[in-house]
Amino acid sequence: MNVGSTFLSVGVAIGLAIASSIVVIAIAKVRRVRVGVSARAMLAPFRLGLVAMASGEDEGGQAKIALCALPAPIWVRVRPSVVAFLPKVRGLPADDLTELMRAHGEIDEARRMLSSRSAVRRARAAYLLGLMRDADSVVLLLPLLNEPVADVRMVATRALGTIGDPSAASAILRALRTQHGHIGLPAWVAAEALLAMGSGIEPALQIGLASEDPAVRHVCAVVAGHGTYLLAAPQLRILLATDGDGDVRVSAAVALGRLGGADDAATLARHAEASESTVLRRTCATALGDLGHREGTQALTELLGDGDRRLAELAADSLVRIGSEGIARLEEAAATPLQGPSARAARGALELAGMRGQLAASDSGSS
Amino acid sequence: MIWSGFLEGLRLVVSAIMNTVATPVLIYFLLVNTSMLVLMGLAGWEFGHQSRRRGYAGSEQTVASQLGQGVSVVVAAYNEDVVIVDTVQGLLALRFARHEVIVVDDGSTDATYEELRKAFDLVPVQLEVPSDLTTRGAVIDVHVPRDGRTRLVLVRKENSGRSDSINVGINAAVEALVVFIDADSILDPDALIAVTKPFADDPTRVVATGGVIRAVNGCRVVDGRVVEVRLGKPWLVRIQVVEYLRAFILGRSGWSRFGALILISGAFGMFRRDVLVEVGGLDPGSIGEDFELVMRIHRHMIKNHRDYRVQFVAEPVSWTEVPVTVKVLRSQRKRWHRGLWETLWKYRGMLFNPRYGRIGLVALPYYWAFELIAPVLELVGFVLVVLGFALGVVHTSYALMFMAVAYGYATLVTLVAMAIEELSYHRYPRWRDLGAILLASVLENVGYRQATAWWRLEGWVASLRGKKQVWGIMTRQGFGDQTPTAPASRGAAPAPASPPPTTRTPRKRQTP
Repeated sequence: MNVGSTFLSVGVAIGLAIASSIVVIAIAKVRRVRVGVSARAMLAPFRLGLVAMASGEDEGGQAKIALCALPAPIWVRVRPSVVAFLPKVRGLPADDLTELMRAHGEIDEARRMLSSRSAVRRARAAYLLGLMRDADSVVLLLPLLNEPVADVRMVATRALGTIGDPSAASAILRALRTQHGHIGLPAWVAAEALLAMGSGIEPALQIGLASEDPAVRHVCAVVAGHGTYLLAAPQLRILLATDGDGDVRVSAAVALGRLGGADDAATLARHAEASESTVLRRTCATALGDLGHREGTQALTELLGDGDRRLAELAADSLVRIGSEGIARLEEAAATPLQGPSARAARGALELAGMRGQLAASDSGSS
Repeated sequence: MIWSGFLEGLRLVVSAIMNTVATPVLIYFLLVNTSMLVLMGLAGWEFGHQSRRRGYAGSEQTVASQLGQGVSVVVAAYNEDVVIVDTVQGLLALRFARHEVIVVDDGSTDATYEELRKAFDLVPVQLEVPSDLTTRGAVIDVHVPRDGRTRLVLVRKENSGRSDSINVGINAAVEALVVFIDADSILDPDALIAVTKPFADDPTRVVATGGVIRAVNGCRVVDGRVVEVRLGKPWLVRIQVVEYLRAFILGRSGWSRFGALILISGAFGMFRRDVLVEVGGLDPGSIGEDFELVMRIHRHMIKNHRDYRVQFVAEPVSWTEVPVTVKVLRSQRKRWHRGLWETLWKYRGMLFNPRYGRIGLVALPYYWAFELIAPVLELVGFVLVVLGFALGVVHTSYALMFMAVAYGYATLVTLVAMAIEELSYHRYPRWRDLGAILLASVLENVGYRQATAWWRLEGWVASLRGKKQVWGIMTRQGFGDQTPTAPASRGAAPAPASPPPTTRTPRKRQTP
């Protein structure tokens, strides 16, 4: 083949590819515009009814009846709007929309899809069952927690949280375990799901706090704190004092700050000492403020002069949150004639507290 | 007689050179463009994956969650009075469960502080800025809104440059994740949700994520939000839109999918604060400080045998002004290439080093061969072909083949990028904008590519000669009105006679 023909073939190939790209771009654009127009046109007769259902204003149930009776080809076009409404509504509108989905066989279809070979379909199905809060599907969703695909595990966990059945708590905690060096579930996803299940998870939580896996203990401590599970306090104290995992100790400190009592101030203060890690010290300083007991003021006042200035700032903020006694300590520190670090931290915190109206509230509270 | 002798000699020289380099140069261009196509294929795969999971990704849960990590948005500002209020308004209004905005005023001489003070009712407070990272510019004072609750902090400091200002912002940050934003950038309302998603999904391993940068020129902006995406009118802007699409969006998505992303734009990058403190923050002495930071993170994590991820998030985006004058564009490209060279040279020990896996064996060799050296070969190839053609030593067929491979193929690569964009995010809804982008992708090859290659070469040579980097001046247009502002008006940074390298907060990003 000579140079001329090589050029010709290369040039023609590139030219054809360029032309094809332009055609693809144009077709994509035209198609999108057409699909959008046709979807809007198809949805238009039902939009008002759908909005009425989603806003709880379908008083006679007329809209629901009409939408339930839609033939399949039209339902396919209306369905995305119904699915889009579902995560945004609660109560009766959510029940109505779920009933609408059920009437069109969506729940059965989603359950079937849970065993699809496509991970995307499995995830979509789990998501839909969660949105529809279908309690009967819990048993079908549980196996998805052991899925090899991370997305599916996460969606199934969220779905179980939305459904809110506490019997799934142990399975979620098991799914947290690290597998082949990778996390089973992100801690916050599991914690959100568990918190959504309510007080029924307490037994699972107590077992989890004693788990061998630090990821499980960490999540249980987070949930115990945010859900204010008071029975978990003794185990949290042990975790804070002895756990070998830094994250677990930090989450235990946060939890104790939220649900602990006056006795825990001394424990938290001890772990805010200089021998501890920076992150644990800062967490304990904040937790002392969350705890809000006057027993924490001495330790916090000492932290105002700490070399870690973020810690000093957090300690000063905690003193404000403790109330009149903490603020009195700050005022003492701020009144020091020397421009030492304690005075600086105290003045900053007092200024911010004044701007937020916390000083006045504290005065009226103490009077 | 002498002239014809000279011409004959020149013809012989050019002919000899052409015989040696003709095929290698062609192959080089073939490889450059093919590698871009491969990256785009990877990006297309990634976009498809993202698009399929969009329905169940859980964005609403991320917004509502109080358990997820909070974000500190750090904005370094130097003489940004035209745009700063819009920018901060937009940042405060972002949808996210817990975020604060930290503006670091790097010794501005214009009304940046005054504009912020008026708009957000700022008052000085005696808050200390911790010194987790060592910084150069002394903090002057700290301001917060009078209500004490709006999560905005203004740190005023002595002028010491953008990198040092961001380091001050990192010190002031209280949240676990830190995102850097340019002062003239506008984020999409859900940008934080998207960029934090990888951290939420894999909190132990993801250490950094980069977001997309697009050109805001021409878009309609209301209250710090892009409400209508349009293409800017100057062809210089349109061509840059094409460039950003190809390199910033698809190129980086491809590298991210391949697991070897080594460049996150300083205009929109999110990092774990503890990792930033561990590696020492941004290097104020580096020209390509964003590239340098990511390379340092890679080296640090690999040396310490840590399992980690650096990811790119293709949507939503940060909108930013791109240069509208040749002068500013030239300065920007010189700086980018200089930064590229200096960082690649600094981390040359990682090149072809199997210890660094795909970074050392694929990404860095690619950047050396196809980013750093590209302007040299592009210019050499172009000059030789034109000269050879004029002297009659290059056949028409070769000249056309060169043009087809170097420019025709490049146009094809750009169009493929556009096709992927149109099939996935389709940000430009108007037909006329699409047409203009199509035309820009062709026009880019006529003058623009050659000029930018020359400027990049200038930047490289300046670095090799040890010339001091002088920051260019980016004249702000503001978001409300895209009519160019006269340099003497607000927002135009005063041009110091000979500014030292770190006395301005420059607008700079890495090579697309």
